[in-house]
Amino acid sequence: MTAVTQELFKDKRMGFFLYLGVEAVMFLTLFATYIIFTPPDTGARPEEVFKAKEVLKTSAALLPSSLTLLLAERGLVKGKRSWVWGGLVLTFLLGSTFLALEINEFYRYAAHEGYVLSMNNYLASFYVLVGLHASHVAFGLMWMVILMFRLSFSKLRDYFIEKHKIFNYYWHFVDIIWVLIVLIVYLPYII
Amino acid sequence: MNLPVIGKVPSDVVVAWMVMLILGALTIIFLSKKKKWSLLWEYMRTTHHRKIGTMYIMAAILFFFRGGMDALLIRTQLAVPQNDFWVYQGDKYNELFTFHGTVMIFFVAMPLLIGLMNVAIPLQIGANDLAFPYLNAVSFWLFFAGAMIFNMSFFFNAAPNAGWTAYAPLSTDAYTAQVNNNYYIFGLQVSGMGTILTAINMIVTIFRLRAPGMKMTRMPLFPWSTLVTSVLILVAFPVLTIALTLLMFDRYYGTHFFMSEMGDPVYWQHLFWIFGHPEVYILIIPAFGIFSDIISHFSRQKVYGYKSMVGAIVLIAMLGFMVWAHHMFTVGLGAFANTFFAITTMMIAVPTGIKVFNWLFTMRHGAIRMTTPMLFSLGFIPTFVMGGVTGVMLAVAAADYQYHDTYFVVAHFHYTMVGGTVLGAFAGIYYWFPKMTGKKLDDSLGKWHFWLFATGFHLTFLPQHFAGLNGMPRRVYTYLPEDGVAIYNGVSTAGAFLMGISMLFLLYNLYKTAKSKEKAAADAWLGDGRTLEWTVASPAPEHPFEQVPYVKSVDPFWFHKRRIQNMPMGANPRPSPVSVKTIQPLLFVLTISMMSIAFIYHWIWVEIIFGLLVLMFFLLRTLTDERESVYRKEGEA
Repeated sequence: MTAVTQELFKDKRMGFFLYLGVEAVMFLTLFATYIIFTPPDTGARPEEVFKAKEVLKTSAALLPSSLTLLLAERGLVKGKRSWVWGGLVLTFLLGSTFLALEINEFYRYAAHEGYVLSMNNYLASFYVLVGLHASHVAFGLMWMVILMFRLSFSKLRDYFIEKHKIFNYYWHFVDIIWVLIVLIVYLPYII
Repeated sequence: MNLPVIGKVPSDVVVAWMVMLILGALTIIFLSKKKKWSLLWEYMRTTHHRKIGTMYIMAAILFFFRGGMDALLIRTQLAVPQNDFWVYQGDKYNELFTFHGTVMIFFVAMPLLIGLMNVAIPLQIGANDLAFPYLNAVSFWLFFAGAMIFNMSFFFNAAPNAGWTAYAPLSTDAYTAQVNNNYYIFGLQVSGMGTILTAINMIVTIFRLRAPGMKMTRMPLFPWSTLVTSVLILVAFPVLTIALTLLMFDRYYGTHFFMSEMGDPVYWQHLFWIFGHPEVYILIIPAFGIFSDIISHFSRQKVYGYKSMVGAIVLIAMLGFMVWAHHMFTVGLGAFANTFFAITTMMIAVPTGIKVFNWLFTMRHGAIRMTTPMLFSLGFIPTFVMGGVTGVMLAVAAADYQYHDTYFVVAHFHYTMVGGTVLGAFAGIYYWFPKMTGKKLDDSLGKWHFWLFATGFHLTFLPQHFAGLNGMPRRVYTYLPEDGVAIYNGVSTAGAFLMGISMLFLLYNLYKTAKSKEKAAADAWLGDGRTLEWTVASPAPEHPFEQVPYVKSVDPFWFHKRRIQNMPMGANPRPSPVSVKTIQPLLFVLTISMMSIAFIYHWIWVEIIFGLLVLMFFLLRTLTDERESVYRKEGEA
């Protein structure tokens, strides 16, 4: 990167980190809401609702996606297009698998077992929190499509590097939130 | 959506329709006659900080008259015991005070301060614009759209009616099932997004775009207070976003976060005040910064105790997060919680006191010039101290059981919010007006404005202390003759109208200045400018710093003029932010507004269509990013 683009990139990176801080506060508030209202006095309890196998599957899809994205990042540094392509495609596949599993999980709860949003506040806060995370994953998938579209016709130079790096921060952040969701939302009730 | 029709809606709404039709027609005629459409089009596409700041301030003044009208209607209804003024009783009165509070906090105080930040911050720190000009335009239009959504509610006879705090369970669909409070949720949600994005922009600008040599400890105090305020915004506003989202789920999708049985109404209060108390510091800290710069300017003295001033702001901000439950002393959180929050609240008096003494010491031995901005600053000090003293009284948890929800509280927060924030904003507008427009506001009209406003202010709010101590509760639309509060209310009403009249002087002043041909100098105030904004022309050009000066101390321009220290031009300036002229931010926000209105009225298909359109704008944005050409020129040619 040249001196000018380097400075402009640093502006953007700082702005984006601050934005992720805002997101972190939002998730923090939702985690607090979940903790306050769980376990509930009436309606379904988390022990009945959550299944360890499902959490393992979704985590197995999402957590490695941060690693495959690291591959794309290495490719960026080394200037290897194939690594960038490979990393992005793998990340995209893992992310969409996660989203499909997540939608499936929600569908099972709501349609088959009657664990709906209005049943109690444990489920309500669960849906809002995990739903917000899932929508972040969905947004990230769309972002990746745009990034791949861009990659297909631009060189691995300043502008693409900037776009790619900003996306990396976002995706890793979404992954960290998932780790917290597993630790705070699921884990206490499936072991 | 039940479209309101004449005959079924209260007469005040009908009057508002007619007034709007007339005003709208007059505006269109005026714009066409004066050939101002191109100017309007220019401002609709601008991303320049000074223009956006000016729009913030103009919009805020507009809403100030809107909220002020509500205040006058409230005071008219309360003028005499058992009054029956127009339609403002019962639920209509609830709508009135809800509107007044929400508009004044979110659509007057916030944009006045953010507008001044937009105008002054880049110039004060030697930057050519805010770090993200496009984002700045998006922020402004988000604020404006949020305010418009909120104001729409009145015209559709659906004004929010649960107070500016929207306490649950009243604000849930169990008690207010109509669309009224949906307007509250979406109006605040949209404008809140704008505020968050502005805060990000300010922080990055202040950290990364300062002039060479301007260390953090050499920044003027307004940028310092802006920085601290922005950090507060980043922590406080997301909590409001989530609180409103949860309230939306309660109202729309059958959850019970804030309803008893399963949920907890007190949880809403916690979330609201975890946002709300930092919010009042968000409103006052920038005013502190403005006063510090103005008092130092017109005393021809360095700010006394610069470091303690900065420390005090930071301390107030940190304590600001530990005091939210003092709004909830009577909820029954227990003796321990009340004690804790009482003590933290009282502690805030210490840094605030430090600031007051520093302002006084700044003036000591100074050559004081009684200009309008200085007058507003001097009026602020005793007023704010009074508000602070009643604040400490309210912090005594046991005594608060008596004061809670009475006019004593109303008097207290008006002394801080009007006596602090609004006086600060006025001072700032007079002070930086040359940088916005290239002209100075008339000083003698400004002094009329100040004296009438200050007199009216104390007449309005001083008696409310006594009405409150005599037991008059907030948010009631009338009282009995034997309650012993009639005289206080009568005086209060008279004072409110005096404040209203004083504002006409500001309007006349703006009109007169617009007409006048007199140009302001670069160093517009007596040639006594101390900071970098007075080194550039008035109005500030689009690209103010072709060469950025190297800053060697606080108040570099002052020491340069006094030949104590030279101010060389810094070598190798960092690249300026990439600005662009585009209508995209406005269209983007228009789409978000349409989506919000669809949500307010539960039109599911419209929600989906406009939701998708909002997403499409992200695509459009990434394809038309103005940075790309800069990057190509730099690195990829």
